[in-house]
Amino acid sequence: MESEADKSPVLVIPCSGIGKVQGLLSREATYLVTDELAPGETDTLCLALLVKGDADAVAKVQMHKCVTIDGCGKACARKNVEMAGGRVSKAVQVAAVLKNYRGTQPGTGAILTVDGWPVAREIAETVAADAACLRAGGEVAP
Amino acid sequence: MSYAVLACNGVDKAEGALAREVGLQVADATGGDVVCPVLLNRAPARYEKTLARDALIVVDGCGTRCASKLAAGVGVKPKQKVLVSGLVKASGEELEASLRLGPDEMALAKSIVADIVAALGASGTQAAPAVAWDAPTDFFVVVFDKFEFRIPKQGYRFSENDTWVRAMGNRARVGISDYLQQQLTDILYFDPPELGTLVEQFGELGEVESSKAIFEIIAPVSGAVVAVNEAVVEASPELVNADPYGEGWLVEVELSAWAEESELLLDGPAYRDTVGPKAAEY
Repeated sequence: MESEADKSPVLVIPCSGIGKVQGLLSREATYLVTDELAPGETDTLCLALLVKGDADAVAKVQMHKCVTIDGCGKACARKNVEMAGGRVSKAVQVAAVLKNYRGTQPGTGAILTVDGWPVAREIAETVAADAACLRAGGEVAP
Repeated sequence: MSYAVLACNGVDKAEGALAREVGLQVADATGGDVVCPVLLNRAPARYEKTLARDALIVVDGCGTRCASKLAAGVGVKPKQKVLVSGLVKASGEELEASLRLGPDEMALAKSIVADIVAALGASGTQAAPAVAWDAPTDFFVVVFDKFEFRIPKQGYRFSENDTWVRAMGNRARVGISDYLQQQLTDILYFDPPELGTLVEQFGELGEVESSKAIFEIIAPVSGAVVAVNEAVVEASPELVNADPYGEGWLVEVELSAWAEESELLLDGPAYRDTVGPKAAEY
């Protein structure tokens, strides 16, 4: 039987990167998870709000299991969640995933191309599966 | 002039999604750089050159104003600040709950961007007042102790923060009331907003500094700042004391929602009734 904590939504937190395709991929992947692949089982949170120290946002990352999706190696999402006292169960880096798509043009900071959406979907499917595992009480590779 | 755009990029609210779209479109329209809000907070050195070179446009999604706060956190004063939720409200539109923008939201974004870009075009050009602003002649006078506070009987509306607005067509002048200027005593400086700034009703519209206090001017109306009273700013701040409803005006704005916003303001008689109790409490 699942514990009460396991039933709570897993927070999927994108990096908030704006102006670069990696940031847009993190955002769109998050929406694919929260809206399509695992609605109700996952939720999202605005990173800028967390950075500003909003009490509700801080409490939320401390209460829920978190999956961060960062666009680049600066890892703003993971680091800020950790700094707020949250536990990052899984940290995804878009730049690492993009290495599997060399030679494609995923888009711009404003829009994803037909090459970009499969990248977002791959990330989203991985995150949705990880979220399901976390809710079931399992562990995922960080 | 070159621009940089800092949008809140809110991810969990429709207003944030719209702010992001507006930010990207403004950057595209102005050829400006996009500033990532979180990276600005984490690694401000990344944007040091950009922010030193470019005028910053800040686009907030909701009233939490994360982007504005992040800009303030690194000591950058925006040239223009936009609050998308306020503009949505003013437009009468309602956003869908979805975080992905539909055609209606995209059209709204386009309209907001056009207003922002137009306001930028207005900046730097001191528009000569196109309206004849004759001084008021008929006043209510509220007497309290040794003080007399004058309030124009007609043509002016007041906020509860003791600022006034006088509308003529789609333009309006804004200033502070006789009561407030007397409370502040001698006005020493007026720090005006930049021309072209889009201000919201009850948002900040510069500051006045007196020998007694620094006072944030609360905008009684929303709109684009099209003129500031250079006489007050440059040479004669005492005009605010001497003639608060006439030569001591502060800012002129192009109105964006006068019909609705004027209903949230007090007319002369209603404001008169607040002044006595305020003075008694003071």
